[in-house]
Amino acid sequence: MRSKNVVYLILILGLLSVYNLIFAQDAPEVSEKGKEVYEESCAHCHGTEGRGDGSAAENLLPQPRDFTRGLYKIRSTESGQLPTDQDLFDIITEGMPGSSMPGWETSLKADERWEVVAYIKTFYDGFKESETPPRQISLEGKIPYSEESIEIGKGLYTQFACFECHGQVGRGDGTSAPTLQDEWGFQSWPANLAQGWNFRGGNDIDDIYKRFIGGIAGSAMPMFEDPAFGLTIEQSIRYNELDNKVEMTEAEEEEYNQLDEKMGNAFEILDLMAEGSADEEQKQSYATAMKAFYEKSWHLANYVKSLSSEKRPEPAIGKNVLRSQYTEDDLPQIMDAAWDTLDSSYFPLVGQIIIEPRQFNPTIDSVNAKSFYNDTEVAFLFTWDDRTNNTEVKENEDTGKTFEDAIAIQFPVKIPKSPTAEKPYFLWGGRKAVYLWEWKASAADKITELTAKGINNAEEQEIQGDLQVEGKYTDGQYNLWIKRALKTDDKKDLQLEPGVFVPIAFSAWDGANGDVGTKRVISSWYSFVLEPVPSSRRFIYPPLVALLSFGLLVGLREFVRQRNT
Amino acid sequence: MKRISLFTICFAIFIACWVFLRFVVGGVISVPIPSSVISMYMGLVLIAILVHVSVEDTRFREFLRPIHETLVGENRRVRRIVLAVLIPLLMLGYTYSNLAQKANPPGDPRDAHPSPPLELTYKDEVIGSMQDVENPYRHYEKDDPEKFKSHVENGRRVYYQNCFYCHGDHLDGKGHFADALNPLPANFQDPGIIPNFQESFFFWRISKGGPGLPASGTPWNSAMPIWEDHLTKEEIWDVILFLSDYTGYPYRTFGEGH
Repeated sequence: MRSKNVVYLILILGLLSVYNLIFAQDAPEVSEKGKEVYEESCAHCHGTEGRGDGSAAENLLPQPRDFTRGLYKIRSTESGQLPTDQDLFDIITEGMPGSSMPGWETSLKADERWEVVAYIKTFYDGFKESETPPRQISLEGKIPYSEESIEIGKGLYTQFACFECHGQVGRGDGTSAPTLQDEWGFQSWPANLAQGWNFRGGNDIDDIYKRFIGGIAGSAMPMFEDPAFGLTIEQSIRYNELDNKVEMTEAEEEEYNQLDEKMGNAFEILDLMAEGSADEEQKQSYATAMKAFYEKSWHLANYVKSLSSEKRPEPAIGKNVLRSQYTEDDLPQIMDAAWDTLDSSYFPLVGQIIIEPRQFNPTIDSVNAKSFYNDTEVAFLFTWDDRTNNTEVKENEDTGKTFEDAIAIQFPVKIPKSPTAEKPYFLWGGRKAVYLWEWKASAADKITELTAKGINNAEEQEIQGDLQVEGKYTDGQYNLWIKRALKTDDKKDLQLEPGVFVPIAFSAWDGANGDVGTKRVISSWYSFVLEPVPSSRRFIYPPLVALLSFGLLVGLREFVRQRNT
Repeated sequence: MKRISLFTICFAIFIACWVFLRFVVGGVISVPIPSSVISMYMGLVLIAILVHVSVEDTRFREFLRPIHETLVGENRRVRRIVLAVLIPLLMLGYTYSNLAQKANPPGDPRDAHPSPPLELTYKDEVIGSMQDVENPYRHYEKDDPEKFKSHVENGRRVYYQNCFYCHGDHLDGKGHFADALNPLPANFQDPGIIPNFQESFFFWRISKGGPGLPASGTPWNSAMPIWEDHLTKEEIWDVILFLSDYTGYPYRTFGEGH
């Protein structure tokens, strides 16, 4: 009897271990199915061999991931670690905003996505060789989002030198931005932190924190190195303060040296930890230093979160209207506070891929516009983000050939009379002509009026000088102010009248991205209107209608009463 | 217990219909219905109610009784005063909100199914009549599946090198450039697109693009490029094969009898 029990026990244990072997991993074993789905849905960008060299890859930036090197940008794991299966699954499911990788939630079933996860892991042997599961980033000690935390994060942003790539206010316009390359030698633009909706791995605070701790593998974004490692936040801030002082008192100097020494010790321990020769006490102080580092990262994540709105403004197709606000006063100048009282209208821009040479990888995301008008003039303020200020055509060793930044605002020469009337072709006109204002960064106070009947068929108008203009570039953003009379003497100009909807469209050029001529970003037709002053009729008619309806009620009552008698 | 009057029942039905259209059909079941369509349906409901109550004299009188009472009845004074204030107030609010509303830009009416020219051309070369031209590689589907597959694969390459920016990875019209375009790029996963057109129609739309649309279709807004400038004839036919192969929808064909 007993031996039979032992046999059963062994059998059960054996089955359990087999079961464990099969289900130990998150993803199922590689199957033909995974290969099939990959080849049907992924290979045209990522390549049949997973090298990121599919037929569509040539014209994509960011480039499709090369799976053969095991470098994954978006991970929940620590720096230098492979991603978890769940990480890969999530990216496939949700896609990567700001790139051409879409989410596959609706077009692949969950088990198909898991099969693909298993299949793409076969492209890199490291997945097979690694015995221990990747170390996950702990979200412990999360610091709640608050004004104070954002303020601390802002200080750390400077201390960690984030601005070198991401710019002073985070628009990705740091001085080294144009020179950055990824592991494969492709241009790697630093994220514009004011456009959180384009963050590849999402813009939750947790997501941002994970990018800090884990680094963005393969890109120019390093794993964080805390320049004030070993110091608490208060000490870091104090250290920075002292560092920036022109003259220090003796006491301050001593304090500064103490902090400096503390940092030196911490970095030494870091080396010992890497060698594996740290003693207990050193391990203890390493843990304390790391804790402070994680705290700093949470503050920084909160600051980055604060730089952007949650979502990309909704691009309501064809419904986005630039409404010019009436004012009785003089129109505001470029930096006037009056502009802040207006909401801006958002116009998304995309690459021009209709006429060669084409722009498949645009860097300008959108243009925002505001407008005021009075009885005689109209003023516009156009704002758009551009990481670099290119004012001339330049041949540069690091960045290649760059061109001038520019923008063109387009109206039809003749306003279509009815909704069904034909507008000019949205791409700089065709059979019907368009009227354009073209501004270039090289001459910030000059604007050229053009008439065009096609993207390669624009002519400068003979009569210029109807427009006043001022352009400014600050912290990765252009502000362009334009003023014009509502009516001009030039017959070729557009004449403006309150309440009339005028089609408006945009073209913009980022010289650093190789934009010149037809290579540019564009929009389709939207609408611009001088918003009529609300008529005083709205105070006259409603009471009249109310009175009338009261009268009708009384009349009806009288009528019924008469009939009854 | 007092019987519920016919007027109240009719009134309740009227309100219920509106709630159903506005929130159930145009919310729970589907996207919101345009208010003009709702008013049209509500007009029909009103007519139906009036027809129902007026077919018999007695019923009509019963229907009118509460109105009659409210207007002249001795014991309906309070209700009368409340309504005499409320109705003019509502009218006041309604007129004001209508007048104060910002004007909206004119819509973009367009022909969803523009009529193609009679002759199918590639650049200046005439291929044949729009109705009769067939995809020259379609017959491989039966005759030589291997060869057919290679054409579909070529179509896939063409699609992902040229089309997916706007028409999307999933062929659903949601490419990463789609946001800024008006009209939106065609969604090939929509069952109303591929099955409604012949392959020759697709060839025409691809090769001539937005600028090739007829004047009647209020053209010049479509961002569809003139692909005959970039693609060969074979590439266009191949991408047409790919669209139907990927989505599983067959193109419209006319049977033998045609």
